[in-house]
Amino acid sequence: MKRIYLAATLVALAVTAFLALYVTPPRENQGFQAVRLLYLHVPCAWLAYLAFGVTALASILWLIPRTRNTTWDLLAGASAEIGVVFTALMLAVGSLWGKPTWGTWWEWDARLTTTAILFFLYLGYLALRRTGATSAERGTRCAIAALIAACDIPIVHFSVTWWQTLHQQGTVFNPNLDVKVNGSMALTLVLSVLAFTMLYGYLLIDRFQLAQLEEGREERELQLAIAERVRAEEVVPA
Amino acid sequence: MSQNWGYVVAGYALTTGTLVAYAAWIKLRTRRLKRLLSDEGRD
Repeated sequence: MKRIYLAATLVALAVTAFLALYVTPPRENQGFQAVRLLYLHVPCAWLAYLAFGVTALASILWLIPRTRNTTWDLLAGASAEIGVVFTALMLAVGSLWGKPTWGTWWEWDARLTTTAILFFLYLGYLALRRTGATSAERGTRCAIAALIAACDIPIVHFSVTWWQTLHQQGTVFNPNLDVKVNGSMALTLVLSVLAFTMLYGYLLIDRFQLAQLEEGREERELQLAIAERVRAEEVVPA
Repeated sequence: MSQNWGYVVAGYALTTGTLVAYAAWIKLRTRRLKRLLSDEGRD
């Protein structure tokens, strides 16, 4: 089943790449051929929202005593890591598009700055996950941090509306819901978002499985260390 | 390269390379941990 899903994801990504690179037209006001980078940039941005949204949801489920389960903590961590990868790609690809279109690699524009803050907030979250503590302590600490970091998601999204700086307004999700893309460009954009979402699902399953194994190993190491200490105390008389 | 194709190539190569490397890292680490845990279980 997982192989079929992976095959379907790869096919969707290949079709997206074909449409993005060969079928869609270049745009003079979007860096000519550089407009093709938007079929990577937009799905990466969507996945950052999705991944960090899943992290926030899983964190809430961890914080509620009735639903508290290690699964939510591990899922939050796995999704945040994938979100960080896609946020980094979003920033890098956006920068590659910005150079030929805006004439600069980086600008302290509202959208770019809030996105960079989002990236560093979740890098901090991942660092926090590696600090020493029991899994319960770590889960609570990280869940609170994830919810604080999630406050930046709506700020990133609405930054182009609240502060009209260099970054363009949403192509689809703008205040008037005036879709500014059509034809093959719209189709490719929708397909790219779908294909990347499928890829996120695949990566999340794998990363979650790895997180479970890491957790199992950590617990086993802790038990071995306790057993060794008990043995040592039995051998050496006090 | 004309009409900014260089930026396009760089963007697609960077994205593909990063995602393939990340997926491969997950697979390798999972395989290593599974092996380690099964070895420890046998001891």
